[in-house]
Amino acid sequence: MKNENRVLPVTTDPDTAPFWAAAREERLVIKYCEECDRPIHLPRAYCPVCRRRSDVWRDASGSGRVYSWTIVEHQVHPGYPTPYTSVLVELADHRSVRLLGSLPGRVPLVGGEPVQVWFEHLENVTIPQWRLVEAGGA
Amino acid sequence: MTDTWKPDTTAIVGIGATDFSRESGRSALTLAAEATLAALADAGLEPSHVDGIVRCDMDEVPPVALGDAIGVANLEYWGDVGPGGSAPCAMIIQAMAAITAGLATTVVAFRSINGRSGQRYGAGYARDVRVGGRSAFEDYFLPFGMQTPGQYFATVAQRHMIEYGTDEQTLGRIALACRRHANANPAAQMHGRTMTMDDYELSRMLTTPLRLFDFCLETDGACAVVVTSIERARDLRQTPALIHSAAQAGGHDAQPGQMFPALLREDITTWSSTDVATILYRRGGVRPADVDVAQIYDCFTITTLIQIEDYGFCAKGEAKDFIGDGTLQVGGALPINTSGGHLSEGYVHGMNHVVESVRQVRGTSTNQVADAELSLVTSAPTTGGSALLLVAG
Repeated sequence: MKNENRVLPVTTDPDTAPFWAAAREERLVIKYCEECDRPIHLPRAYCPVCRRRSDVWRDASGSGRVYSWTIVEHQVHPGYPTPYTSVLVELADHRSVRLLGSLPGRVPLVGGEPVQVWFEHLENVTIPQWRLVEAGGA
Repeated sequence: MTDTWKPDTTAIVGIGATDFSRESGRSALTLAAEATLAALADAGLEPSHVDGIVRCDMDEVPPVALGDAIGVANLEYWGDVGPGGSAPCAMIIQAMAAITAGLATTVVAFRSINGRSGQRYGAGYARDVRVGGRSAFEDYFLPFGMQTPGQYFATVAQRHMIEYGTDEQTLGRIALACRRHANANPAAQMHGRTMTMDDYELSRMLTTPLRLFDFCLETDGACAVVVTSIERARDLRQTPALIHSAAQAGGHDAQPGQMFPALLREDITTWSSTDVATILYRRGGVRPADVDVAQIYDCFTITTLIQIEDYGFCAKGEAKDFIGDGTLQVGGALPINTSGGHLSEGYVHGMNHVVESVRQVRGTSTNQVADAELSLVTSAPTTGGSALLLVAG
């Protein structure tokens, strides 16, 4: 798939590069504090709770639920044709961790819908995306 | 926690504003100079009296450049206070801090912006740009289509609806109150342009649940105020607006960056404004019920709704019960944004709220609240906020 018009992430930033490197391998990873065993999300060098410096990343299951959303009707960027539904996803295995996703079209949501990660491979970068899963499935 | 806050030792003694338009035809520097000269004239001061200038760090105009543009020969203090909407009250606080520390005697705080004809916020990002890094973590948001303040605040609004059953009519009543006030303010961009709830509900949906009339007006314009000590204020032309209380707060669980990462806070519908409010009321020795009139930062209707809760005018989640028809208009329980606010006067990034708050204390608003004594003004996007309580001197 081409990168045409899409907003792409920097993948060389010292704080976030491991997230994007793992995505390239179709793994969703979250940074953790080794000392107090809690996510450091967004990823930063120090645990804001115990101040321990950490370089530990762990795989997340890739299951989540819709925490909030907006259906974007007014287009502001050529790479993101409207309507699309921007979802704020809460990870199933780490409820304090949220990630963004974009679903095409107007998705009727009420909140709490289960979603599953998938990986969109673009040139030189892979974007973790989310799709709705049927209740009881996936 | 205790502090050594002393109320009513500094004051805003001059206010100035340019016209608010969609195309000013002037540079940000010219607009800043125009508003500052107007504020000095209002106070009965000359540029030669100014020895300090404070700005929002998103402003195009450096303090020294503004000083030079209006002929300030003895600039001895300047400061930058942080981003956008959280800046205006914080600018006044920094001016006050410089004065009480003996670093300056007469400080101008200004905001100048060609927000419509120049750089437009949330206008999207250039093609092929790479985002992220720089400790702002935009890479976790922008590539996924979460790219503008409107989309961000819509996601917050949707969560408020999920948690508390907040409805669109409550957002509409905020927009209607601002529009009603703008209709009576000749300086407002929406002066003379009336709006009904039907108009609101029929306005174009931009990003659910936010419609066109939930958005502020991108505006070209500038506002400036002059701050000095109470002793000097007594000798000047206007009734001083005393700074009775002042507060800034980042809040716990703040998250990095300026806006989008706040979607990762444990609670996205309670903001740092709760922390600002606690400090502000404690320093002022007052309660929310003592506030007579409020200018509440309104880049979007939901921004105001959340702050009405955060500043304790009703409990969290109860705005839809508190805000009835007329509640927020002059004559109602909590008159807000009496110049029309960002939604209907113009968007000078919170600085027009400071100017209008001074007018209320002076008794010169075009939507004057009778017997207004305690005037609240807030500056508050999500990650950090600031606020002032003003009283007539």
